[in-house]
Amino acid sequence: MFELLGAGLADIVQLKYLTALLTGCLIGVVGGALPGITITMTVIVVLPFTFGLEPLQGLATMIGVYVGGETGGLITSCLLGIPGKPSAVATTFDGFPMARKGEPGRALWLGIWASIFGGLLGAVFLVATTGPLAAIALAFGPWEYFSLFLLALSMVAGLVESSLAKGLVSGALGCVVTILGNDPVLGQERLTLGIPFLSGGIPFLPVLIGVFAFAQIMQDVERMGGAAKALEAVDRGVNLAVSHLKVILEILSRPFLLLWSTFIGLAIGVLPAIGGSAANMLAYDQAKKFSRHPERFGTGTPEGIIASESSNNANVAGSLVTIMAFGIPGDAVTAVMLGALTVHGIQSGPLFISQHATLAYGMFAAYIVAHGLVLLLLLPGVRWMLRIVTIPKSMLFPVVLVLCTIGAYALNNTMDNVYVLLVFGVFGYAMVKFRFPLAPFILGVILGDQIEINLIRAIMTDPNPWLFLTRPISGGLIAASVASLAFSIWQHYRHRARVAEADADF
Amino acid sequence: MRRDAIAGLAVAAASLFLFWLTLGLEKSALVPVGPGFYPRIVLGVTIALSLWLVISGLWTKQDKAPKKERLNYALVALQFGIFGLYVGALPFLGFRLATALYTAAANATLDPPRGARGWGRVLLLAVLTAFLSHLVFERYLQVLLPRGSWTGF
Repeated sequence: MFELLGAGLADIVQLKYLTALLTGCLIGVVGGALPGITITMTVIVVLPFTFGLEPLQGLATMIGVYVGGETGGLITSCLLGIPGKPSAVATTFDGFPMARKGEPGRALWLGIWASIFGGLLGAVFLVATTGPLAAIALAFGPWEYFSLFLLALSMVAGLVESSLAKGLVSGALGCVVTILGNDPVLGQERLTLGIPFLSGGIPFLPVLIGVFAFAQIMQDVERMGGAAKALEAVDRGVNLAVSHLKVILEILSRPFLLLWSTFIGLAIGVLPAIGGSAANMLAYDQAKKFSRHPERFGTGTPEGIIASESSNNANVAGSLVTIMAFGIPGDAVTAVMLGALTVHGIQSGPLFISQHATLAYGMFAAYIVAHGLVLLLLLPGVRWMLRIVTIPKSMLFPVVLVLCTIGAYALNNTMDNVYVLLVFGVFGYAMVKFRFPLAPFILGVILGDQIEINLIRAIMTDPNPWLFLTRPISGGLIAASVASLAFSIWQHYRHRARVAEADADF
Repeated sequence: MRRDAIAGLAVAAASLFLFWLTLGLEKSALVPVGPGFYPRIVLGVTIALSLWLVISGLWTKQDKAPKKERLNYALVALQFGIFGLYVGALPFLGFRLATALYTAAANATLDPPRGARGWGRVLLLAVLTAFLSHLVFERYLQVLLPRGSWTGF
């Protein structure tokens, strides 16, 4: 393992990979810092640029965007009180008050260093667990895979939205997308609705790009008036000088907080399609609960910043574990990465680490090195970020959509994918307006074919349906799915009861 | 909420239609369950879930309406319209011309230009986006972009 990691590190420091990684980090930091531009959107924008690159170059770029984005998001959170991305919301609670108290440099660098530590601790978990988890997954038969994918879908549907019904409908709709076109087992045509393009099925990348990009952009467009304004309250003369040693010691003097927040980030990252937005809020909440001075939270306490930022960077490592060991995207960003792998003809999943060891360990190395590069970029460049965030969205959005169009078209040089992009752009926006969560839908689109393939394989091997329950791992996974749904229903009713109680008190 | 019920009904109707289509699928001699087996499960589950959504939507007490923010849906519709025209124009005008026109139209409608400087910004953004993206993708990344059947480039 260490030998392979060493080889991966030796690969990634080669100029062609390092340049790609550095570019990704830079784009990620900028994308993360821009309020309204999520990391998912940034990685979607970067996707078409990776088509012409080697697989490791492309994936290093995306990992750079991911790590850079998670760190970059805290800049506006701390200095402007506006989270650059959803996973930096909790950073705003204490980062901005600390900055307003006259310590903007401390707030910012506490966040940056906590991100670096959280990310590097996450790297240990990533490197140590991906291989063993993939080895466990290799022992799976079609029954276990079917049950695992079902568990992933039920967890996402249950966890991402207060309405379980909507989460489940959203996941089911994602699976419906995959039944249009060829039957993945025998290639028999079905449900093409007379559209020749559908005979090949709907490729998931244009669906993903359309759903996420339009849902995000159009929600911002709704709030734009006749004249879209850029951020104005940027104090470019702000003093960001700080003693880095002092900041590092301030973080390391709270080892339990750092480790616990990192663990939360990792755990949330491993769960499919939940993401850093939940991780930073949960870590912040836990830090407050464990603190001797919970009343100080929200007034500029360093614990709040450390918890939020270490967890959201560790979340990246957790997401990478899930995709590399099981082929299940941990969040939307890793879903795009899955698409990039497919474009290069690489199948993710348990065989990935053994069949493409150089690439897998190159990705680990890229993740580790990205943290150092982000730090190098931010040391002299934080002040520049404050200028960049003033770029008006009215200029950014058309450019982003042009790049999305290129991404969809370049998949196999056909306009059909661009039409899919447009159709699912409208669909994604409609889903958001009807308050359907997007994550289960995307997971359904990604896993639908795999669920079908494994179901049919299992039936062809042995038609006894009880095997799904009697095989220990498969049965355990199905029981976990049922438990996850039961937990969601209980949580939903508890929430409603509390709301009713609060209404009655009022 | 009523909105959930409407969404549930729409999903149920579309799923029912697809379910009906699966009944016409021929069975394969090689796979005992046939190509319609899995789609029927998925669509059956989707119909059941959407009916649950309809029922819960009709039965659940309406949430207290939060203070409504004024949202600019006309601008959203306009942006979708402009993007739709862009997608429609790409095969005829080609990437460079269609992209320049789209970027200019989208930017001008999102932030209406005032005076020569404003129009200059619109023009510059349009030309730079079309030119730079074409240059980077076609020249350096070997990604082919759409050619226009009317324009020839």
